Amino acid sequence: MIAFFAVAPVVLVTLLVGLRGVAAMRTTSDFLVASRRVSPLLNSAAVSGEYLSAASFLGVAGLVVKDGVGALWYPVGFTAGYVAMLVLVAAPMRRSGAVTVPDFAEARLASTPLRKLAAVTVLVIAGLYLVPQFRTAGLVLSVVSGGPYWVGVVIAAVVVSVTLAVGGMRAATYVQAFQFCFKLVLFIVPAIWLLLSAGPAVRHEAVHPVEFTHFARDTPVDFGLEVTLEVHEPTTVRASDGRVFTIPPGEFRVEDGDTLVFPAGAPVPGVRGGAAPGGPDWQRPLLDLQDAGHPLLGTWAVLLATMLGTMGLPHVLMRFHTSPDGRAARRTAAITVGLLGVFYLFPGVYGTLAKVLVPQLYLSGATDTAVVALPSQVDSGAAGTVFTTLLTAGAFAAFLATSLGLLLVVAGAISHDLVPGGLARLRFTVVAAAAAVVLLALPSARLDAGVLVTWGFTVAASTFCPLLVLGIWWPRLTAPGAIAGVAAGLLGTAGAIVATLFGPPVSGWLAILVAQPAPWSVPLAFGTMVAVSLLGRPPAWSSAAMLRLHLVERRTSVPTRDRGRDLGHSSWSARRSSAVRRIIRRLSR
Amino acid sequence: MSPHRRVAVTSPQTRLAHARRRHRTAWRPPTLDPAEVHEAVRVFHAQRSRAAVALGALSVLLLGLPVVLSLAPWLDHARVLGVPVSWVALVAVPFPAMVAIAHWHLRRAERVEDDSEPGTPGPGG
Repeated sequence: MIAFFAVAPVVLVTLLVGLRGVAAMRTTSDFLVASRRVSPLLNSAAVSGEYLSAASFLGVAGLVVKDGVGALWYPVGFTAGYVAMLVLVAAPMRRSGAVTVPDFAEARLASTPLRKLAAVTVLVIAGLYLVPQFRTAGLVLSVVSGGPYWVGVVIAAVVVSVTLAVGGMRAATYVQAFQFCFKLVLFIVPAIWLLLSAGPAVRHEAVHPVEFTHFARDTPVDFGLEVTLEVHEPTTVRASDGRVFTIPPGEFRVEDGDTLVFPAGAPVPGVRGGAAPGGPDWQRPLLDLQDAGHPLLGTWAVLLATMLGTMGLPHVLMRFHTSPDGRAARRTAAITVGLLGVFYLFPGVYGTLAKVLVPQLYLSGATDTAVVALPSQVDSGAAGTVFTTLLTAGAFAAFLATSLGLLLVVAGAISHDLVPGGLARLRFTVVAAAAAVVLLALPSARLDAGVLVTWGFTVAASTFCPLLVLGIWWPRLTAPGAIAGVAAGLLGTAGAIVATLFGPPVSGWLAILVAQPAPWSVPLAFGTMVAVSLLGRPPAWSSAAMLRLHLVERRTSVPTRDRGRDLGHSSWSARRSSAVRRIIRRLSR
Repeated sequence: MSPHRRVAVTSPQTRLAHARRRHRTAWRPPTLDPAEVHEAVRVFHAQRSRAAVALGALSVLLLGLPVVLSLAPWLDHARVLGVPVSWVALVAVPFPAMVAIAHWHLRRAERVEDDSEPGTPGPGG
């Protein structure tokens, strides 16, 4: 019932708001960038709505339970990405007149192979990001409603692909902007209610954490996945079929689907690869990735990956192309920093409260559900149910808004960059891509969503971030250099992913650099681009192509008085690149 | 036949061309009017220096705050309204600071562009 009341309104409102955005569409530009008529305020709300995915709505609070207060560095990096975007990318990229990131690469460097490579990179990033969104939609719905996993996945896919195929970017813009306000309210109001009704004892423990060593009350733990527990003392538990048995000290494997009830006062077993929440390391405001003992390096690695990765996320970059001009794109980025800053004040509240009220989630690895599990712990009556419903609705809105943007870049990459086609093919690609993602998401219920999204950020940071930064600020960049750099970034992160999955266990700082490769893969990509570019010669028009990105759009076609002719209508021969080159040479002397 | 029937008025050639699948046109080098080059170079240099300053401020903030927190563990035990100072610092310092940097840079970057409004002669011209 909760699931119905939470999901049905979100789905209906999404479709209704999407319908409002349906307008006559003739060109790919209408479909992909809403005819470039989106004002900065609406656009920044849409950027924030798209960006606040399940990882922000549920994930950060879950990470606080699992890894400690240091997990609050993730939102800092997420927001810092928009400051970097504002400073380095937003306005010049919009002025290139491109529609997608591969389009930008071609407009700046005139290389079709680079465009295809960039399109493939878009598909990799979007795949890594989209599959976890659909998976979490399925999981949250199945947890709340008790229904099967695939239902949630299919509902998400149908709503997203119908909205997009009918309304394109304009519908996506209205839906995302609306869902940002929706999510903001549904995140802040329950947080305040939780703080007020949790009682002074819980509030006191939230800021004076004690290590989670003994169960405070009879605690049922649902193991959705197979987990190996490290039991230090004999522990008597009750299984779901009523059987009571004692676990001997040592390792104990719990099958997936089991529910064990730990009695009050029982010692908490350990979980392989994690410290219990609430300990001294948990309280440190730094991120000790992989428990490697280098918290500073771990924090920096996460900040670098999230900040530079945000700058290279194709679905976010595409939103900036919907601004009418470069200045509006820059304002969009600036407003987004403020909007995200407001939202990210609250994950810490959920995280610290969840550590007190539902610390057992870390045993089953289901910390992602901490936010949704909180209200029923505070109030078992109607109020708790209402707030669980509100939070589920917010989480579902988070999946929808993010999936809309991602599915649109997938469609753009396939039928605008890889196999250019018209509007009809774009609409069809949206539906086909959604079906493909559903097929990918069905077997991946066991995957760790956070890990996949982090990989998506890392790939973006080590491919598109150097491509955009050097393309906009360095006139000597050549197409071979850009191709080599993007390929090096892709291969580097792919190597790290393979090493994480299949490689031997490593420890110390090496473990951080394997799990979070951004600190070396981003410099590798930048270095390769610069080195290969310096080996070649940039084409004659290269400086002009870069300078044009920084020039303000002519807003009026009033002829400039001092030159006596209308720049907007000057003939092609007057714009010869040799003339531009001559002037640039004279200026740089 | 209804009296309001709409009739295509384009030439058969145009209709043929529209019906055919359109291939992408050949890529042309981007154009920059020689008369605008002075302005473009000036804006580029001004924006580059301002971007470097803003980026420097952002990196000092983001790389410096973890160093401060790791060098000053006593901040974990000092409390504001019952909450450890180091936890508060993780939320209350970076977000307002980033909003301030963004706003400051936005104003400076727009001022550079305001100077290059059409009609104002650039310093070189």
